[in-house]
Amino acid sequence: MNEIQYLGEHIWVGTVGHLSIILGFVTSLFTAFTYYKSTQSQGTDDSNGWRMLGRIGWMIHGICVFTLFGVILFAMSQFYYEYQYVQAHVSDDLPMRYILSAFWEGQEGSFMLWMIWHVILGMFVWRRDYKWESPVLTIIVLINAVIFSMLLGLQVELGDTVYKIGANPTLLLRNVLELPLFANADYTSLITGNGLNPLLQNYWMTIHPPMLFMGFASTAFPFAFAIAGLWTGDHKGWLKPATSWSLFSAGVLGTGILMGAIWAYEALSFGGYWAWDPVENASLVPWLLLVAGVHTHMVARSSGYAIRSTYLFYILTFVFVLYSTYLTRSGVLGETSVHAFTEMGLGYQLVFFVLFFLLLGLVLYIYRYKSIPSPEKEENIKSREFWMFIGSLVLMFAGFLIISSTSLPVFNKIATYFNEDYVGRVIEDPIEHFNKFQLWIAVFVSILSSVSIYLRYGSKQRKWSKISIHIIIAAVVAAILTYLLTFWISYKEAWQYTALTYFGLFAMVANFDYIFTQTKNNVRLASSAVSHFGFGAMMLGIITSGLNQSFISNNPFVFGETMDDVAKKRSIVLIKGEPLYSEGHFITWKSDTLIANTRHYDINFQKIDEDRNVLEEWNLKPNAVYANDFSKISAFNPDTRHKWHEDIFTCILNLSPPMMSQEQLKEMEDTLVYNTYYASIGDTIRGIENDIVIERLNYEPTHPEYNPADNDFGVALVTSFHNRESKRDSTIETALGLRGPLVYKYPEKIESFGVRVRPADTLMNMIFPIETDLTYNRYTTTQGGSFNADGTTIELVELSNQPGKSSYQPEDGDIAIEARLKVTRDGVSYPATPIYVIRGNMPMSIKHYIPQTGTHIRFSNIDPVKETFGFKVAQQNTVLPPLAIEIAEQVTRSDLLLLEAKIFPGINIFWSGTIMMMMGLLMAWLLRVFSKNDDKRNRNQKEES
Amino acid sequence: MKSSYVIALVMILVSIGIFISASADVSTYATFESAIVSQSRVKIAGKLNKKKAMEYDPTVDADRFVFHMIDSDEVSNKVILLKPKPQDFERSEQIVLTGAMKDGAFVADEILMKCPSKYKEEEIALRK
Repeated sequence: MNEIQYLGEHIWVGTVGHLSIILGFVTSLFTAFTYYKSTQSQGTDDSNGWRMLGRIGWMIHGICVFTLFGVILFAMSQFYYEYQYVQAHVSDDLPMRYILSAFWEGQEGSFMLWMIWHVILGMFVWRRDYKWESPVLTIIVLINAVIFSMLLGLQVELGDTVYKIGANPTLLLRNVLELPLFANADYTSLITGNGLNPLLQNYWMTIHPPMLFMGFASTAFPFAFAIAGLWTGDHKGWLKPATSWSLFSAGVLGTGILMGAIWAYEALSFGGYWAWDPVENASLVPWLLLVAGVHTHMVARSSGYAIRSTYLFYILTFVFVLYSTYLTRSGVLGETSVHAFTEMGLGYQLVFFVLFFLLLGLVLYIYRYKSIPSPEKEENIKSREFWMFIGSLVLMFAGFLIISSTSLPVFNKIATYFNEDYVGRVIEDPIEHFNKFQLWIAVFVSILSSVSIYLRYGSKQRKWSKISIHIIIAAVVAAILTYLLTFWISYKEAWQYTALTYFGLFAMVANFDYIFTQTKNNVRLASSAVSHFGFGAMMLGIITSGLNQSFISNNPFVFGETMDDVAKKRSIVLIKGEPLYSEGHFITWKSDTLIANTRHYDINFQKIDEDRNVLEEWNLKPNAVYANDFSKISAFNPDTRHKWHEDIFTCILNLSPPMMSQEQLKEMEDTLVYNTYYASIGDTIRGIENDIVIERLNYEPTHPEYNPADNDFGVALVTSFHNRESKRDSTIETALGLRGPLVYKYPEKIESFGVRVRPADTLMNMIFPIETDLTYNRYTTTQGGSFNADGTTIELVELSNQPGKSSYQPEDGDIAIEARLKVTRDGVSYPATPIYVIRGNMPMSIKHYIPQTGTHIRFSNIDPVKETFGFKVAQQNTVLPPLAIEIAEQVTRSDLLLLEAKIFPGINIFWSGTIMMMMGLLMAWLLRVFSKNDDKRNRNQKEES
Repeated sequence: MKSSYVIALVMILVSIGIFISASADVSTYATFESAIVSQSRVKIAGKLNKKKAMEYDPTVDADRFVFHMIDSDEVSNKVILLKPKPQDFERSEQIVLTGAMKDGAFVADEILMKCPSKYKEEEIALRK
């Protein structure tokens, strides 16, 4: 069989991409090796040589990563569908601004993103931490080697089974799938892409993954420093350079998680910012461990205690980042999570990834354990470091609790290896389960993070009386605030929630006080208090916006079996144009508009008092996004009104089935019964529920979908309906359009009357008779001249060689002349533009019809010698036969939508709290980055002097 | 670090306590039969019974969707879901419901569906 020579493929992309993968993988191993040698030979001259080689390897490795990223992104932006990864993630109609989102929608793309951050961040180690460059970057590049192996795409046969090592994103579609399509050499011109999931067509999808992956990538640096410390045995030396890395990492990873929460709240239909979903938990746990590590790290630097635990926290942070990768990418979560990556079949490789670094860390840790310095003397129970250490243990404890519950599907999977009949366990009510335990941890953290800041490191403490006065004041102020808040929010008569509110406020007051009375404008001291204040505010925000959220949409209908569950019914049905009262508001679906593939619903809210006075009025625009081919609605997006003290969140939950998908619409249309009626203009048709009159014909249809430019000829039946029961009237237009030989129908409906109308198939022939029924007469005239045809005066105004009629499709070699005529009958003038065409030596004409006068005009010949122009005119009787119209009545309404409207009080407290937590971390980081430069400057000055 | 050892010990004890109490939140998937017996709130996994009709009329009650599900014992039972009919419901491969038995029907207020991945690999969209 001959090999097919395929057309339209861009093979170079695959070649360059695949080369980058192989070279990138090899250079990562090479660089790891040279940096390893450099570390092992530290202190000798060889070390610098190895280091130089390492840097060169790093550069080449970095270039490979960027090249791979670049070529794949380029192939996506050019829609090279011959590549499987491109075909799977973009489509013709994908706007260019979502190209990056499409890039990291797939696992391969996000792995590349991850590596890119390692490469970029690693370069800062060259600049800033010269002494630690070799051991730290050995670890970082080793991580990249493992990630690169996920992209190798090797098939290894061991015995009977074929193991897959990585999935190569640069493979051609025809190498991945076997389809008859590939027998066609020009298959690339036939296929299009699957495109980006409309739920992800959102700017958050563009900015959230880079931030989150920068967070994930940055956790590798505290980890690498810790490993470097264990490896070189310099257990104290790494603490200083690693400080800014761990603060940066905690700030960035936290911001990444926070952005995910904002995305969920602002742009997804979840109606909340945190749902204890396994994917959310999996990214939260490493952050908790990292924050625990940051605290013991400070303890270690200030007092020399807790170096061992700092090692352990940083190792665990990174291992849990890898574990979260395993959870989200291996498919193990199954039905317990609403969002996870599509499976790639790399589960075993991901397990290896986790275990490799877990063992590397733990084995080194155990091996070095004895040599890690740890003061013999017991630490002072009244010291800051003691309580910071306890706080870190609490955070770790919180993390372990969360991850154990989240890992239930993993335990189930392991259990089925030993016992095939094992029945998997699930958590019955995950949100309640997590809240129940984390509430007490939050209370504990609030107390620790406010009392401990008044303490000092070491054994020299201030007098207890000085500290206690601050704490007592904070406790009293918090109690007063807790009471005052009851005028706004409720604690639902639960002492647990009252306690959480109280201690959240206590943390806020104490840290606020600390910043203003204790720090003496020392920003470095203040940064931790800013974070702690933020934590307290976050707890308060959870109580106000979480516990106190309420529904404006409250379904007033209650049915038998649902009696117990009234509270669960949280949505209302809106009928277009009809106001509905719910919980002190009138809610009206005013209108909806389709823009691109999104339908925006204009929902009006009127807040009213008991006397029906309108207190406040606003509009919200939740929307529905259609699938790229418009076959169905694939996502609903919320809209939120932001007020300073509360948010009003609305989201459409559902539409009536025919509005949801083409399939259901067709199903419904098929069940409709249309009756055909024949009526002259002005006659009354007695329908089932309506009296119907065809009022007149409109030759310039105003039907919303009718576009005059598309049609050669259009006519609309202006039809009025009188509903006998409701005694209401409504007039609508149903139209017909003629494009060349094709007839298009434009049906119309009155939802509130349950009416559907469309023109009958025979209507076109009634209004626009077929050619053979006409008798034409010939006339000749000159330019500017006129003639009379059966009482119609026709004037040839001018000629044009650029015909504008849509029924004329120009072809190469055509000679086409359009006559622009002024046709006058009974004192009224109409324009007409018949066309004369010579195509391949054959003359032909495209006629013009003026429905108002019943005149058909053809431009039939041109005499170039005499400069005369021949026309054929047929005059038709303008009295029309009874018109045929099809009407369906008693149709179920389809203009319904199901709306959820929710109030989040004090949501801004929550957001400000979380943002302040991250700001405190990033402030501390920035201060260290700058002070480090100061150190350098001081050192340089010393050397100079 | 003696005092921290004491505190660590306390925390270990607390955590053991929490794990024991947390295990009460954990259960296996129930079946219709066991739900009838227990009459309590349970989770049931199963798949849609496509032979039985589904009822959903948002004009009457948008939060009431009735269908039949087959559980892991191959028993089919009527389900009343107190939620709007989920998107792509017919395509679901697996359904997990949370609720309780009431008068012979399983009344659920929470649903999780496992749908086949967005695109089947063998389906390549052709240009129109």
